[in-house]
Amino acid sequence: MEQKFLKKGNLEKFVNAIAEVYDLYYIQKGKGDKLHIVKYLNELKNPVIGEVRPLEPLKNFFFYAREKVVGGYEKSGEVKDIEGKPLCILGMKNCDLSAFDILDYVFTQGDFKDPFYIRNRGCNLIIAADCTKAIDTCFCHALGRKHYPEGYYDILMSELHDGYLVEGKTEKGNKFLDKNEALLNKTTQKHIEERDHIRKHAGIGVEENIREHKMPQYTEYKDIIKENLESEIWKREAETCVECGSCNVICPTCHCFYLVDVSQKDDKELRYKIWDSCMYKRFARVAGGANPRSRLWMRLRNRFEKKFDFFPEINGYYACTGCGRCISGCPAKIDIRRVLKDLVAEKKAKVK
Amino acid sequence: MKNPYCPIKAEITDIIDETPTIKTFVLKPEEPVSFKTGQFVELAVPGLGEAPFTPSSNPKMEDRIELTIMNVGNVTSRLHQMKRGEILGIRGPYGKGYPLKDFEGKEILIVGGGVGLAPLRSLVLALLNDIDRYKKVVIKYGARSPKDIVYKSELKKWTVNKNVELELTVDAGDSSWKGNVGLITMLLKRDMGVDIEKSVAIVCGPPIMMKFTTFKLVELGYEDKNMHLSMENNMSCGIGKCGHCRIGPYYACKDGPVFTYDKIKTYHTIWE
Repeated sequence: MEQKFLKKGNLEKFVNAIAEVYDLYYIQKGKGDKLHIVKYLNELKNPVIGEVRPLEPLKNFFFYAREKVVGGYEKSGEVKDIEGKPLCILGMKNCDLSAFDILDYVFTQGDFKDPFYIRNRGCNLIIAADCTKAIDTCFCHALGRKHYPEGYYDILMSELHDGYLVEGKTEKGNKFLDKNEALLNKTTQKHIEERDHIRKHAGIGVEENIREHKMPQYTEYKDIIKENLESEIWKREAETCVECGSCNVICPTCHCFYLVDVSQKDDKELRYKIWDSCMYKRFARVAGGANPRSRLWMRLRNRFEKKFDFFPEINGYYACTGCGRCISGCPAKIDIRRVLKDLVAEKKAKVK
Repeated sequence: MKNPYCPIKAEITDIIDETPTIKTFVLKPEEPVSFKTGQFVELAVPGLGEAPFTPSSNPKMEDRIELTIMNVGNVTSRLHQMKRGEILGIRGPYGKGYPLKDFEGKEILIVGGGVGLAPLRSLVLALLNDIDRYKKVVIKYGARSPKDIVYKSELKKWTVNKNVELELTVDAGDSSWKGNVGLITMLLKRDMGVDIEKSVAIVCGPPIMMKFTTFKLVELGYEDKNMHLSMENNMSCGIGKCGHCRIGPYYACKDGPVFTYDKIKTYHTIWE
């Protein structure tokens, strides 16, 4: 669809129109300028459309942190549709959206599919937005990703100084925009130029970060784990790790979960699917105690292996989108940029 | 859409004490769970948890499924306290199963350790269903002590067929034991009754036994691609989603749990 212009003054009305049909979540600037995803309750409070990704990854909305998957053993075992309004998430950035390359692959491909993810993913409207700046942990370009959405959205909003460029991508998105045409204006060449200008400058910010941290490009990541299986890097980095699992929960691509059976008073056949962390000691342990990753550094190595070795091999994508959340979330200050830089350097030194 | 995480009910119709720590549970699922030998199921104690097991029964048997289970963990210790008539949850089968077609016309060496004979029993019964298709079946089984041998009364029946040979050993004997004493690797030698070049080897047992058996078979001249190894990994969801059982580019639950050695030998953590 052709691009439209939404004036800042019309944002509230636009959002109201969304909220009529959808259960809306948007990004809010909170204490200390931190960006959080919050539920829309009749008014927008400090909304952020541009800027950067929020603290929480987008995956929560489709792959819940905790989801009841069994409420009683039954032969049919059908998954019920979601009750209530479908979901709309406003302002999602590319480092979250590109994680669907991994999550969709895991949960919707193969002999068995995850009907919960498919259901949650199906009934929603995703409104994506350009990053209008970079924060110091952004490194999406190092992974070959862009700082503006490339796919996996219904509507794209690019924030300008006095409004937003709005563009429908899917039928669902276009339909919504058509219905609310009265709120939208024509775009001018100036709007497009302004968007390109903002994109360019946000991109420069990402590039500066990458340069400052001497981060290698993804094209140099091939075999960096295979070639460094016993590297001291793992032991050095694991030294401060406290196995909290923060890096897993805030990672937009981490998808591991465990099935937990619980028993309540009259309900003895309950099962929940709950996020798991590969940094936990029991993650790979089997009954009887054998553990293929008994040491912490092995688990740290495993985390990188999964992201930079396993996924590229099985589906062609690195399971890191450069969002940088794990850098700010790690209490042990383990910096994925430093680990990648050192792994690449060590591999190069070996090959020579 | 079908929910792959939801088990169906299965009633315990019989419990057979195999050893002081191992029992065979005969289950009647509310609808048949038909599996290929070597595939596994996820068995749930309602409200407590789930664990993966490879059935030990003949895949031809339709309305019942048997699982031989050692008391080693959270789920299995509760299972061992359960009684006939109680209800469990079962889902599956999952994984690839043994490639029986590839075994046709060949000599088959089966090496089991401890409760690892459980999936191998299913394999032996499946082979016996069509025994003419295979040249020979040679079984080597090791247990910790005579009282730890599973399927005691049944083992002899397998060898009624002249194409099936069986040799046992125990790590430590007792006063009544007159057989071999020593580790399973002791039974693996050039003159063990199979033509190594023309045979396939199938191994299942505890991790340490798997490791040394594999090394021994390699030493005897088995090609990596002819060795079918059961990998013990934490297969939780069973369907390649939850991430726990990864070995290199594979998930044990969907690409295994039986792998030929050539596929997995380069992955560094398989013997940990």
